[in-house]
Amino acid sequence: MSNDHDHDHDHGHGHKPPAPMVEEISDFEALEIAVRELSIERGLFTAEDHRRFTEFAEHIGPTPATRMVAKAWLDPEYKKLCLTDGIKASLAVGVDWLNPTGFGTPSDYTDLRVLEDTPTRHHVVVCTLCSCYPRPILGFQPEWYRTPNYRRRLVRWPRQVLAEFGLMLPPEVEVRVEDSNQKCRFIVMPVRPAGTEGWTEDQLTEIVTRDCLIGVTLPKPGKTTNIKLPVHHAVNPANH
Amino acid sequence: MTEAAKPEAAKTEWTTVSLLEGIKENGRVWEDLANQYGVTNPDPPWKTSLDGMCEALGTTSCSPAMAVEKRWLDGSIDRAEVGGAVPLPLLERRWEEDELSETLYQDVPFPERQLLALTHSLIKRGLVSEEDLAQRMKQIHERLTAT
Repeated sequence: MSNDHDHDHDHGHGHKPPAPMVEEISDFEALEIAVRELSIERGLFTAEDHRRFTEFAEHIGPTPATRMVAKAWLDPEYKKLCLTDGIKASLAVGVDWLNPTGFGTPSDYTDLRVLEDTPTRHHVVVCTLCSCYPRPILGFQPEWYRTPNYRRRLVRWPRQVLAEFGLMLPPEVEVRVEDSNQKCRFIVMPVRPAGTEGWTEDQLTEIVTRDCLIGVTLPKPGKTTNIKLPVHHAVNPANH
Repeated sequence: MTEAAKPEAAKTEWTTVSLLEGIKENGRVWEDLANQYGVTNPDPPWKTSLDGMCEALGTTSCSPAMAVEKRWLDGSIDRAEVGGAVPLPLLERRWEEDELSETLYQDVPFPERQLLALTHSLIKRGLVSEEDLAQRMKQIHERLTAT
């Protein structure tokens, strides 16, 4: 077979070529396995706990939160429920907030609050202490959310940090920063944007991105991807 | 968070670990591997296992460890009383990851940086040794490349 053979078709015999794979073991991959094996052997955690938490990590993502907001935009009663009882509202999108893993929570998930934006009030979420995040309903944090740079600067200069994400808010819009903690996690319910009249729930979910749910951007027809930010190191080291 | 809890983890003077320095210098990060092999997954296959490890280290099935750590955070007990119940408290791990990400591992991308920081924290506490890790990594390379 020649090297320039096109593998994007299915060869006409009923199967597609396998997806490309990394065919070497990196030192990082070997290190991860070594740390895990030794930790289990030393009793730092059990293999069973690790398996369950890894499975949890594999299945979570932003889809339930996205669905929650899209649904709320279309159903005023459900929106009311979201704003008054985020835990009950999350059941409607397939998340049992108080027992998300089914075997005990990976953290202290005691409350979920949905923050409603208005034309004159914008919310944005941070965890100044570490990187608390509503994982059962929104998946894992983006890298920038974990950085001291974002965590420390957002509470001091929210408009400047939001501007770095491309979100310029006029002065008449109040910015409210919510600090996640071990008791309570937050997602933002943005204002439904113009140009989405008559859209279905599925169509609306496409523009409710993870970044909208954290509050660093606003939904907009045609904008369906998250921002990929370069991560800047903090000028001063963490915790100082 | 109590003010008493945080500074303890904030004053660490980090010393390099030669095994981890070697991996930092010579290990191939996922972005390079994915580009070379044409793989589109943004995260390495071991990322969720690393997440699982971090979660498993911070809690246990019946969660007494987490309860102890919360008492430390609300100021009910001293850090010294946490140690026996929690080998690597969740918040200390995160603060150390922050510090190491700004210092020794600042040029390493995520999540490789997170893995190096976690390992560094475990070695620092004597929960795993550098020698055992090096030996185990060698065995793993042999195991996974056996023909």
